[in-house]
Amino acid sequence: MTNPTMNLLLFAMLPYVALFVFFLGTIMRYRKAPFTYSSLSSQFLENNQHFWGLTALHYGIFAILLGHLMGLLIPRQVLLWNSRPLRLYVLEIFSLAFALMALVGFVGVIERRIRYPKARTVTTPADWIIESMLILQAAAGIYVAIFYPWGTSWYSTSAAPYLHSIFFFRPDISYLVTMPFIVKFHVVNGWLIVGFFPFTRLVHALVAPLPYLWRKPQLARWYGIGILPVWPRRPSGVRD
Amino acid sequence: MLDWITGKGFRNSLTPRVCAMVALLIGTAAAQQDAGTFFKQNCTSCHTIGGGRLTGPDLKDVGSRRDRAWLVQFLQSPKAMIDSGDLYATKLQQEARGVVMPNIAGMNPQQAQALVDMISTESKLPRSQFAGMQISDRPLTDQDIAKGRLVFLGEQQLSGGGPACISCHTVKGLTLLGGGRLGPDLTRVYERLQGRKGLAAWLSSPASPTMAPVFKDHAIQPEEVLSLVALFEDSAKRGGQDDTTSLLNFFLLGVGGMVLGLISLDALWKTRFRGVRRSMVHKNDRGEG
Repeated sequence: MTNPTMNLLLFAMLPYVALFVFFLGTIMRYRKAPFTYSSLSSQFLENNQHFWGLTALHYGIFAILLGHLMGLLIPRQVLLWNSRPLRLYVLEIFSLAFALMALVGFVGVIERRIRYPKARTVTTPADWIIESMLILQAAAGIYVAIFYPWGTSWYSTSAAPYLHSIFFFRPDISYLVTMPFIVKFHVVNGWLIVGFFPFTRLVHALVAPLPYLWRKPQLARWYGIGILPVWPRRPSGVRD
Repeated sequence: MLDWITGKGFRNSLTPRVCAMVALLIGTAAAQQDAGTFFKQNCTSCHTIGGGRLTGPDLKDVGSRRDRAWLVQFLQSPKAMIDSGDLYATKLQQEARGVVMPNIAGMNPQQAQALVDMISTESKLPRSQFAGMQISDRPLTDQDIAKGRLVFLGEQQLSGGGPACISCHTVKGLTLLGGGRLGPDLTRVYERLQGRKGLAAWLSSPASPTMAPVFKDHAIQPEEVLSLVALFEDSAKRGGQDDTTSLLNFFLLGVGGMVLGLISLDALWKTRFRGVRRSMVHKNDRGEG
């Protein structure tokens, strides 16, 4: 990844190809096959390990994506926060904890799909590929966080200007070309994930049922709950 | 008119020659200026022209030391020249205490030629504009070191708007979990860059490919440079280099945070439904399903 032509291809051209495919792909899929816009729950097939993978990966990835977004949108404020070593360390430790949580989650969900035949049956090749990409991405990010600290600061001064240059159509790869291999890998794999996004279950992120957060609570009545002969326990969240 | 079109008129006129000469002069001036800007942005952190040695040699009259072809080749890839076993290039590296001149972004044969021309022109001047910056040689005090520490940690922001050193660099014993490790450990940088003058020149115009784009519009101001020099002089005196225990501590704190996170999730969903309908599964296992 040190060849200048390769650098241009990977850091200046790949992003545009990936973004183009992302927008075109997500829109086309929504228009042509709206009912596939889902991550097809497999909770019914196995529910115990599912919890540990699912919650850990989602809460981890939410926090990490939010961090990347903040570095991109308000880099100066992030640097201002980091201008006291203690605050820098707190931010870094929290970020690392969430990143590890995401990694544990990703490994948990893929292991579950390997281990439980029922879950394996409903797993597509695209699932395996995107899962592997996400695990690699999280692992590379964690490696960078540990061995090339302090990323929350230098992301704001080196990665954010690169991303700005891409989004404003003035690609400037000078910030990236001298970065260590693993940082470059994280960036390239990131763009590949963006490009592959529309063809995977990740599209569910675009149609997250956010109104659930503020809509009025609904009361579900479970008729006949008392007449079943063996009912181990009442499902949680069900009131009567 | 026909003469003009066929060019006969031109041949009889001085105008085109004058035009060509003016164009050549303007072109040369522009190339010189470009080479000057290029030199300022990429070379002054390690070289002067007539101002004495910094990390790299003083380039005054470099054209009389090596021939043009060698210089142009070296400028384009210093490391390749050293690796090829070139004796003079190896000697330069030894004189720079092992520091290898990096490949400079944007360097090509034309740029290298222009630089050699510019250095030759500047060498003839009584005082070149690249004779180096003047840094105070007053003794550095504890106050300077303390101020340098604040600048390094980012508690006192760089007035040019650049990021704090701690983002990418560490110095032994400076803080709890150490500084960054994207860039080199700076505990002994004062020795590596051969003292106050070399270090100050580097800080005034950081030329490494990673730092250059970040600092090109956010230069470190002279008084901040002096404070940082004081800090690095002090750290070099103390010696050693930062150990990696802080990395392990950081990792363990991260793991601790993750475990706490998982425990919180478990507690938050204490009453979750923990399996598929167990009675149905048992029935199935008994062969009744």
